[in-house]
Amino acid sequence: MKDGELGRVYGEGEFIFKEGDEGDRMYVIQSGRVRITKKTPSGDITIATLGSGEIFGEMALFDRLPRSATAGALDEARILSIDKKKLFQTIDRDPTLVFKTLESMSRRIRRLDEEFTKLRKSKIDILQIFVNVDETCSFILEEAKNFIKADNGSIMLYSDEEKALLIKAAFGTEWNPKTKLNAGEGIAGDVLKTGRAELINNVSMDPRYKKGSADINSVLCVPIKGRNTHFGVINMSRISENLFTIEDLNLLRFIALYASIAIENAMNFSRLRNVADEVLMHATMLDMLG
Amino acid sequence: MADPYVLENGSEIAVIGGGPTGSFFSIFALKMAKMIGKELNVTIYEPKDFTKDGPRGCNRCGGLISELLVQTLAVEGINLPETLVQRGINSYRLYTDHGNVFIGTPSHEKTIATVYRGGGPKGIIGKGKESFDRFLLDLAVSEGAIHNPLKIDRIEYNNIRPVLFAKGQRIQEPDLAVGAIGVKSRTYKIFEDMGFGYRRPETVTAAIAEISTHSSAITEYFGNSVHLFLLPIKGVKFAAMIPKGTYVTVCILGKDIVVNTVNNFLDNRVVKSILPKTETYKVNCRCLPKMNVRAPKIPFNHRVILCGDAGSTRLFKDGLGAAYIMGKAAAKTAVFHGVSKQHFQKEYYPVYRNIIIDNKFGKVLFAVTDAFKVHKALNKSMFRVVQKEQLEPSSQKILSSVLWDMFTGNELYKDIFRRAMNFPMFFDIFKGCIRI
Repeated sequence: MKDGELGRVYGEGEFIFKEGDEGDRMYVIQSGRVRITKKTPSGDITIATLGSGEIFGEMALFDRLPRSATAGALDEARILSIDKKKLFQTIDRDPTLVFKTLESMSRRIRRLDEEFTKLRKSKIDILQIFVNVDETCSFILEEAKNFIKADNGSIMLYSDEEKALLIKAAFGTEWNPKTKLNAGEGIAGDVLKTGRAELINNVSMDPRYKKGSADINSVLCVPIKGRNTHFGVINMSRISENLFTIEDLNLLRFIALYASIAIENAMNFSRLRNVADEVLMHATMLDMLG
Repeated sequence: MADPYVLENGSEIAVIGGGPTGSFFSIFALKMAKMIGKELNVTIYEPKDFTKDGPRGCNRCGGLISELLVQTLAVEGINLPETLVQRGINSYRLYTDHGNVFIGTPSHEKTIATVYRGGGPKGIIGKGKESFDRFLLDLAVSEGAIHNPLKIDRIEYNNIRPVLFAKGQRIQEPDLAVGAIGVKSRTYKIFEDMGFGYRRPETVTAAIAEISTHSSAITEYFGNSVHLFLLPIKGVKFAAMIPKGTYVTVCILGKDIVVNTVNNFLDNRVVKSILPKTETYKVNCRCLPKMNVRAPKIPFNHRVILCGDAGSTRLFKDGLGAAYIMGKAAAKTAVFHGVSKQHFQKEYYPVYRNIIIDNKFGKVLFAVTDAFKVHKALNKSMFRVVQKEQLEPSSQKILSSVLWDMFTGNELYKDIFRRAMNFPMFFDIFKGCIRI
């Protein structure tokens, strides 16, 4: 520690206090950074990274509850601590001393408000997506595209009314929205029928392959399994020489597993809504008749 | 009808003196005004250039910022950079004729700062450290104050409004004139001559000297401790040695301080025993500044207020802490209430008076300290109690904390006094006396 430095130095990773500890002082960062983390069932999450001049640990002083989070030095940090008793004695003499602390707490609440609004919005967006089958399929395909690089891709679901596989979401050039495949027809139809995920390189040699506008080289086709039956497939294809690997196939199977849950939920919700609408319609009609 | 003594948007404040009190006043007045949506025009008149070394930039002070002030400033958002702090202090060592005892900060942190008020002793320029007074003045300027290096030499009332003059020229007619002046210059005359009854405070003379040696020698001999001496040297109440970069500041308080007091002190057996033995050292800079020991009775009038050393300050120590308290109290009154004599009487005077009352408790505590200084049995017994407290982690450390707060300026004398009235502690000291 240099001659002119004040406070106490905490080494990288050293804890200043831990969640659940009793809080008898607040802290002001003189230099370095401090990470504030909170325990969650899925592990510790960082809720803030604070820098020079910022205060922390003040909450436990005012609400007299145990520390709500853990504070640790992110890198070497120099911290000045302020004893609760001395602080309150000084505030008693000069209440305006809390102005700066209130300013800092207000700024923190404002930031939390913004984050809360963002979270709420994304939660609503997700809810809206997952009650609509087509939007659920588009969302899943977008996510799959982020993990597996492909030139074309689609999700096809089996329609009981049309007795065929219909495209619900797609990307790339190699797809036609009007495509309909009967069970057993083409690669997708065959995968739906057999329930086996397939990785096919040199796809033009495959007799089930129906040629489109581009020269497809490599194809992944994975069934979407429901509780009792297969009700769709996820297709991905590459035009380039860069072939899919077995890891890509396994990843897509994994995605298909979660996709099946989401799509089934959306389908069920859609059915439920239809039933509710029907009940409401019948009730209205009865009321009118009465 | 609106109160003419309430500051409005665009009101002008003239602050005479850009030391810590003037800067603290300006910082808080500007901050608080912004909070209630007012813009004030604050001008700080300070001819001294605090970046200069030697007497030209110096404000003649020990340069010790108490633990309480360091922490309070940090809560206010004013953190002292390492370029400003000469040395972080985490302990005190108390010496008497009969031994010495070490008292560490309760939090085991470096919570006390030693600084130079100006550029530092002559020849120190270029050592990479800043002046404390300059740091605060710059903060005030960054809050929106204007620094004017003019020396104001006269203030007159014109229709109950102060008018400022410099070299016969009328400079400003502000809504409020703040006298943030010390007792070391004759600026107080300006306010005495205004005729509202202000009289300069009673003062005593102190001695300050700078001993220069190598930085490594300072670390070796003084460490991060302020060394405090309660020695029976004629005229010396108590003395402190405050380690800084390549200097140690010697501060001596007492009744009959003269030029030779520093030499007498340095020649004392106990003091000699802790000074560098192998390294050479010399006394580089010395002065005999005045210290306020009794506050003026009338520190304000309509649109005029005095704070800092020219008003009430803490007895013998923590002058910078008093500058903060009084500068802020004046700012709060002016911004949130008004600038009439009645406003100051109601809002500012209670804070002013509290310091005066507290100093009365301080006088008693210093008298008790004197008794401990001269009484061998009391002295030895006190050491024994403190040593025992320091060795026992579970001990409440009552005497240690009383001494710590007493010499660090960490707490009001009144609160220290209350804590010192502790029967078990006195019983321990008494027991120690009997054993001796």
